[in-house]
Amino acid sequence: MNKLILIAVISAAMASARAQNAASTPATSPEMNELREQVKALTETVKGLQQQLKDQQTTIDKLNQQNATTAESPEPSPIAAASPSPSVAASAPPATKFPTEDASVVSSTTSVPTSSPAAGVNPNGTAVGGNFPTTDTSVVSSAPTETISTTGAGASLTQPIGIGGGKNYMNISFDGLFALAYSSDKHLDQIEVGDHDPMQRGFNARNIELALDGAVDPYFEGFANIVFKLDNDNNTDVEVEEAFMQTTSLPFNLQLKGGQFFAAFGRINPQHPHVWEFVDDPIVHGRLLGPDGLRGVGAQISWIVPVPWYSQLILGVQNGRGSTGYSFRNPGDDGLFFDRRTTDRELRGLEDFVWIPRWENSVDITPTQVVLAGVSGAFGSNETGGTARTQIYGADVFYKWKSANAEGGFPFVKWQSEFMYRRFEAGRGINESFPVAETFHDWGLYSQVLWGFKKGWVAGIRGDYYDAQDSRFTDDIDRQSRSRISANLTWYPTEFSKIRLQYNHDFLDETFFLAGRDVDSVFLQFEFILGAHGAHKF
Amino acid sequence: MKRYLLILFTILGTTLVAHAKLNVVATLPDFGSLAREIGGDKIDIVVLAKPTEDPHFVDARPSFVVSLRNADVLIDGGAELELGWLPPLLQNARNPKIEVGKPGRVQASQGIRLMNVPTNVTRAAGDVHALGNPHFTVDPIIAKAIAQHIAQSFATLDSANAAFYNDNYKKFEASINQKLQYWGAMMQPFQGQHVVAYHDSWPYFAHRFGINIDVFLEPKPGIPPSPSHLTEVIGQMKSLNIKAIIVEPYHDRRIAEKVARSTNAKVVEFSQFPGGIPGTDSYVSLIDKLVSRLAEALK
Repeated sequence: MNKLILIAVISAAMASARAQNAASTPATSPEMNELREQVKALTETVKGLQQQLKDQQTTIDKLNQQNATTAESPEPSPIAAASPSPSVAASAPPATKFPTEDASVVSSTTSVPTSSPAAGVNPNGTAVGGNFPTTDTSVVSSAPTETISTTGAGASLTQPIGIGGGKNYMNISFDGLFALAYSSDKHLDQIEVGDHDPMQRGFNARNIELALDGAVDPYFEGFANIVFKLDNDNNTDVEVEEAFMQTTSLPFNLQLKGGQFFAAFGRINPQHPHVWEFVDDPIVHGRLLGPDGLRGVGAQISWIVPVPWYSQLILGVQNGRGSTGYSFRNPGDDGLFFDRRTTDRELRGLEDFVWIPRWENSVDITPTQVVLAGVSGAFGSNETGGTARTQIYGADVFYKWKSANAEGGFPFVKWQSEFMYRRFEAGRGINESFPVAETFHDWGLYSQVLWGFKKGWVAGIRGDYYDAQDSRFTDDIDRQSRSRISANLTWYPTEFSKIRLQYNHDFLDETFFLAGRDVDSVFLQFEFILGAHGAHKF
Repeated sequence: MKRYLLILFTILGTTLVAHAKLNVVATLPDFGSLAREIGGDKIDIVVLAKPTEDPHFVDARPSFVVSLRNADVLIDGGAELELGWLPPLLQNARNPKIEVGKPGRVQASQGIRLMNVPTNVTRAAGDVHALGNPHFTVDPIIAKAIAQHIAQSFATLDSANAAFYNDNYKKFEASINQKLQYWGAMMQPFQGQHVVAYHDSWPYFAHRFGINIDVFLEPKPGIPPSPSHLTEVIGQMKSLNIKAIIVEPYHDRRIAEKVARSTNAKVVEFSQFPGGIPGTDSYVSLIDKLVSRLAEALK
């Protein structure tokens, strides 16, 4: 009802303002008379409407009486006092004066205390609407029902944003990532190292993702990523890739996280494949942290160090069990890992968890250049022996330049490199069944440069290197040293879709068991995102 | 003994807080300049986005987390313009003082009736903001409302200086009211004229001064201009006798110039943000510049 009145008042006011505008320019007297008549008529209408409004207001005030003490500040501020008193169209300022108030765009500011959490339409806000004459119909016609924007609908933690004007409790998005692949090796699944990489010649759909996020309550946020993966025989696997809660306002710059989540190790590991700049996983990541990356059920605490630059310490702990804890308590395929029959035992103590510390720092070198660098570790037990341990260390650096006149985030240059080293104690397996115990020292790195040269267009180049210690006791293909060079070109029609063409050249080294060879592969990746997808971190 | 220490620390703490400047973070330079008008030398301000870059696509760089972590006040648009970068920053900043609903959070869209609210939200229409067009600060009447909310927030959090903030608001209001007469007179001769813009950032400015900025080089918001669309625009410009094309610092000026050459229109460099074009260090000087540039082009 209030809205109707508002619209009526405004249209009346606008019509009268039109009259005034016309009056300001020299006009013939019949026109003037006609306009005067109009103004008179409109003034009458406005008066009538005002009476209605007053009645309405009385009702609203009554309803609001109980909230009045909290909703209004006890002392009216000088600002509030300085607010203009509502003036009716009839007593509008002289026609030559340019208006300095416009109730059609600004609701009563004085009656909306900034501290008010009110998410509804403030009745006072609409009550004074229409006191200022304006000639513009676009505001009314374009916003016929929901007229006043209120607080809390924006990007916030406690009031989640989402499609449909912030009326949803969470962001819901759906992401489909597909690839058409060709490789000179017919076993592409033995060339690509990541579980969401293309695994066969032809079409691949290995990362179709449902992502949910939002505020749980004033204390927590929740996230979930459910991945549907079509295997080479088109059967659907479902993975709960991530599902975790996170605190929003712990004191002392602390944050806690719990659930199933990607370990904060390095840069590529916590990222979802759809954010990756290449079609496939860097080799060292897939080999040392596993095809699925290091993720699992656990908890994490992080602390922003109170220094002038960005510095964060993170400590995570996860079960590290199964294939998503690849180098840790992983029973392996068919109970074998590096040819050892695995123990697959239960947790004995804190040492069997994977402990994942990280320290990351970032500075702005210039207003257009940012560097983010970190060191990470992952320490735990593995299943190849009763006391076998694994330690992984990582160092990563990310640099980005973005033009001060960037449109849509372009142009930019990004450079990202990661180094990882793994010390893996391969024991003698369950019941000392394997002939020898070995300690493997494996390491690798990748480095990539992305150049966003034009809005929507990115060219990239990446080099990969992986050095696995040669062993005469295991013929595992994961222990084949190799290197790779990749180049790609991506077109983002918008931030919700992309098309990417990539070429890979792989060099696989000869080992005691495996022959050396070269492999060429080409991928055409395409992606779409539906719904409200949460924004990504830097 | 413990109790006395506690009291001592509380007193120390409150005095320190009382005398420290307010740490203010503004997501965008327009909010930053309004905060400066109100806060003067009583606040320390950090503005996240640069005045020359596209406000839809600002990097969520980690140094912003540090600024937000230390903030007493955060001023943001509240209308999803910063949707692509502010939420992850706030997730990491873990600062309860700037949560929505607290006096430390000023959402500029509060009490503003947003224009062009889509009745049907579909991305087939391009980068459409579900809450309405978020580029509203360029309307001086709206800027007054934002400044008032900023003053209320500052006065609540720093009550010792409340009178100072309120006086500054009154001064700002008075200068806008006075300037509006001048700006209105400058734009008066061009009432009803059509103007082309690269992106739909100007409905509030157009509404205020009675012009129509309703033809766009972008076929849809956020979608780069295509040759066929530009041909259509050139046709419209000729039939409506459009004399000016508005570009912002981050838009591809060459496209606008190409269109201008085939229509005898002028390319006018505009910015929503103080500092985005030379000689616009304050809000008033920005609107001054916009009005005089546009009047010059439309003459």
